[in-house]
Amino acid sequence: MPACLPKVWRLLPAGFLLIALPVAGSQVNTSSGWNMPPGVTGISQNIFSLHMIIFWICVVIALVVFGVIFWSLFAYRKSKGAKAAHFHENTLVEVIWTALPLIILVAMAVPATATLKQLYDTSEADMDILVTGHQWRWHYQYMEEDLSFFSNLATPRSQIEGQEDKGDFYLLEVDQPLVVPTGQKIRFLFTSNDVIHSWWVPDLGIKKDTLPGFINESWTRIEEEGTYRGQCAELCGRNHAFMPIEVKAVSPEAYQSWVEERKAAAASEAANVDRERSLDELMQRGEEVYTTYCAACHQEDGGGMPPAFPALKGNALVQEESGRQQHLETVLHGRSGTPMPAYSDTLSLADIAAVITYERNAWGNNSGDRVQPAEIRELLDSDD
Amino acid sequence: MWRVLQAVLAAFFGVQSERKRREDFQQSSPWPFILTGVLMTLVFVVAVGFLAHWASS
Amino acid sequence: MSSTLPPHSDKQQALSDSAAGGAAASAADHHQSAPSGPLRWLLTTNHKEIGSLYLLFSLLMFFIGGVLALVVRAELFQPGLMFVQPEFFNQMTTMHGLIMVFGAIMPAFVGLANWMLPLQIGAPDMALPRLNNFSFWLLPVAFTLLLSTLFMEGGGPNFGWTFYAPLSTTYAPPSTSFFILAMHLAGISSILGAINIIATILNLRTPGMRLMDMPLFVWTWLITAFLLIAVMPVLAGVVTMMLLDINFGTSFFDAAGGGDPVLFQHLFWFFGHPEVYIMILPAFGIISAIVPTFARKRLFGYASMVYATASIALLSFVVWAHHMFTVGLPLVAELFFMYTTMLIAVPTGVKVFNWMATLFRGSISFELPMLFALAFIVQFTIGGLSGVMLAISPADFQYHDTYFVVAHFHYVLVPGAVFAILAAAYYWLPKWTGVYPSEKLGQAHFWLSVIGVNLTFFPMHFSGLAGMPRRIPDYALQFADFNLLSSIGGFLFGTSQLLFLAVVILCMRKKGKKAPANPWEGAEGLEWQLPSPAPLHTFDTPPEFIPERDSPSRS
Repeated sequence: MPACLPKVWRLLPAGFLLIALPVAGSQVNTSSGWNMPPGVTGISQNIFSLHMIIFWICVVIALVVFGVIFWSLFAYRKSKGAKAAHFHENTLVEVIWTALPLIILVAMAVPATATLKQLYDTSEADMDILVTGHQWRWHYQYMEEDLSFFSNLATPRSQIEGQEDKGDFYLLEVDQPLVVPTGQKIRFLFTSNDVIHSWWVPDLGIKKDTLPGFINESWTRIEEEGTYRGQCAELCGRNHAFMPIEVKAVSPEAYQSWVEERKAAAASEAANVDRERSLDELMQRGEEVYTTYCAACHQEDGGGMPPAFPALKGNALVQEESGRQQHLETVLHGRSGTPMPAYSDTLSLADIAAVITYERNAWGNNSGDRVQPAEIRELLDSDD
Repeated sequence: MWRVLQAVLAAFFGVQSERKRREDFQQSSPWPFILTGVLMTLVFVVAVGFLAHWASS
Repeated sequence: MSSTLPPHSDKQQALSDSAAGGAAASAADHHQSAPSGPLRWLLTTNHKEIGSLYLLFSLLMFFIGGVLALVVRAELFQPGLMFVQPEFFNQMTTMHGLIMVFGAIMPAFVGLANWMLPLQIGAPDMALPRLNNFSFWLLPVAFTLLLSTLFMEGGGPNFGWTFYAPLSTTYAPPSTSFFILAMHLAGISSILGAINIIATILNLRTPGMRLMDMPLFVWTWLITAFLLIAVMPVLAGVVTMMLLDINFGTSFFDAAGGGDPVLFQHLFWFFGHPEVYIMILPAFGIISAIVPTFARKRLFGYASMVYATASIALLSFVVWAHHMFTVGLPLVAELFFMYTTMLIAVPTGVKVFNWMATLFRGSISFELPMLFALAFIVQFTIGGLSGVMLAISPADFQYHDTYFVVAHFHYVLVPGAVFAILAAAYYWLPKWTGVYPSEKLGQAHFWLSVIGVNLTFFPMHFSGLAGMPRRIPDYALQFADFNLLSSIGGFLFGTSQLLFLAVVILCMRKKGKKAPANPWEGAEGLEWQLPSPAPLHTFDTPPEFIPERDSPSRS
């Protein structure tokens, strides 16, 4: 027999007490980021109360079980001369500890079922928004309005790489938030353009996977104005951590005027397609577009990540006149069998023209080539 | 037959009295127990299915 | 031999005779022309040598997988991209998961089975010794192949250990076909190992030992082996479908061709959920051996432990979609899988209550195996309780794919399964090597591991509830404190495993206190009748087995 440990074992309960205390404390600290947020919708609050009930049930069970175990370890230790009893198997005790958990679980299943049914009831919505996951950004389309846009991560690269201090909403801020009215039942439709993503906003109690080729549903009714943030919850490739969600709930009136503004802006851009742009103007806009949409794979410096993501810098397709047509086609329609997506529906004509111009002139590619929005429109029209 | 069913249900619940267990283990063939067990497993799955169906409507 | 056999087992006897004959023949080979050096290990058919190979292999994989985890923890030490790029980070999380699940935990349990099952049932060897050799040697091939993908163009698997399509098909790196082949090899190894274990348990028990007399480690492995045979082919099927989608233009998982990415998840989790129990059931068996030994008291409910193990195994086939609550299942399916999942808590609870009742009014001492076993019970219970929370489907809409889930399954697998494996190692090392593991090093290893593992995984509950998604290389500022703690704990836990390595090396070099045949005062079972260390060939004639006075099978 190796020496029994005379004193050290006393630390065992102490060790676990240290662990147990923060759990007990988590109720007190609900607002300080230890616990699930109760959220701002009926669903999220129901989920929160289910969570707290089952949490306390678990705490009580844990206290009883760990209490008996640690008390046994203390009271029946051999070093104090404890003699083992010889009992085993007691039908009554076994029936109790099988039936009791069963009863608790049935009691939990009832409210859980009710909440789940509520969560699945997408009927009679006031408006519909189609959410499409893209690698690595969200696209929102307001089904009743002629209105749609992309929502991209707004945190600058310099903060991520540590050259600059991180802001308050580091990795949780976007260029264009999803704006919705309060008090209305909003039905969300979810789909994906490429891989599976998952649209999650904790304060709304919504998490739903977006599947390529399939449509999922969920709904919300936000009562409080405010900005609610979330993230993609399903691993979707290299920039999975960098496609946040920002939902801005505003009054129905403010929502209406926001819709009008967005529509007016879109109309003026469409009217301007035929305007001839200078190289500088195209390059400036192109760089912004490139950083947001292309740099994740082809890299900021155009070096790419071969073999999956070819370099654009020094690439004949991108640099030489002979490759021009194919370059345009690739950006517009993607390249099948590779991760390169089609951008003809994603970006505006002006953005496509700008980014192609940028690629053909940046990083010493210097082709001097300019691509105008009108040219892109012609190309798309002739494809149809 | 009732004995076998009782034994299988007790096994599902996980508790059986020592006396009955001994009697069950005296049987010459385990096959009635095994077949009933498989059958009851199917019944159980279908029953939970019906429960879910009923709860969702 | 035949005179001691019960009359109904003529067939068993014939089988066991032929298998024993085979083992004896290979034993003769060993004595006469045993190759020396590396060739001996390549060709060995001895269950103890193969068991050691499995255990050492899994220890190596444990350290490799651990280093990958530490790369992850280093990156997550602070917000911001610190050391690695997201692409590489994804490869690290993926490879960590695959190596730990298929390379460390599963082979460790198979190694323990190889060593201990024949000793516990009084068999001379495994029933199929050559198959045993083959199933081990598939593993180094599989994992060399898997690890080599990290050095290929485009990098290794980067789609998570669950490799959801289409991220793992259309959007996967070119090395994915190698990953698929590695999975096939590891899967074949598991299936062959499971067949061997079932054949051994059903045919080679010593005369007089009936099923309900078997030690619980044997019972849990018997049930685990059936699970393996049932679900490993499903894994093989799903990776083959991936292979076809990637290389041969099929569209099983591509909606554009009429397929369905959710089909992948159904198939994967139909394998994956039983897989989770494959990694924990043998641990239940180990704990059920160690707790009665050091409480010097019979296990409270042997039969209900067997029933609970069987219930968990059966239920594991009808709960898989609880991993997919947010994928858009119909309401009926959502309810069905919520109810079945909640039910699993019942048999699992029965197990914990049984260990609790075994400790109650025992005569308890705190040797190294017992410390790890006690820590297992407490920590596994924490993981089990968070599992009950996750079963509540509406709440899972908030928990799913967050660090809360990461905390849950790591609690079950690391302070759970890994601690059980460590407990088993400390428990049986005297039998394997003939010396006690170093008390001083073992104590240090235990305490540092307990502190490290809880410091790593407990804060993850909070970061998850607060909203941190899993599998991200960079995170928002409110998660910074929890991640800092987790990273410190991770490095503490990781480095303290070097102490275990030292313990094992000391034992292998026979440095330490000599152990008698039965090194633990309260231990019962056939394995303790053998001298320590156990000679290469044991139980050439079946030992006499007398069921305990009031065992259920006793007439």
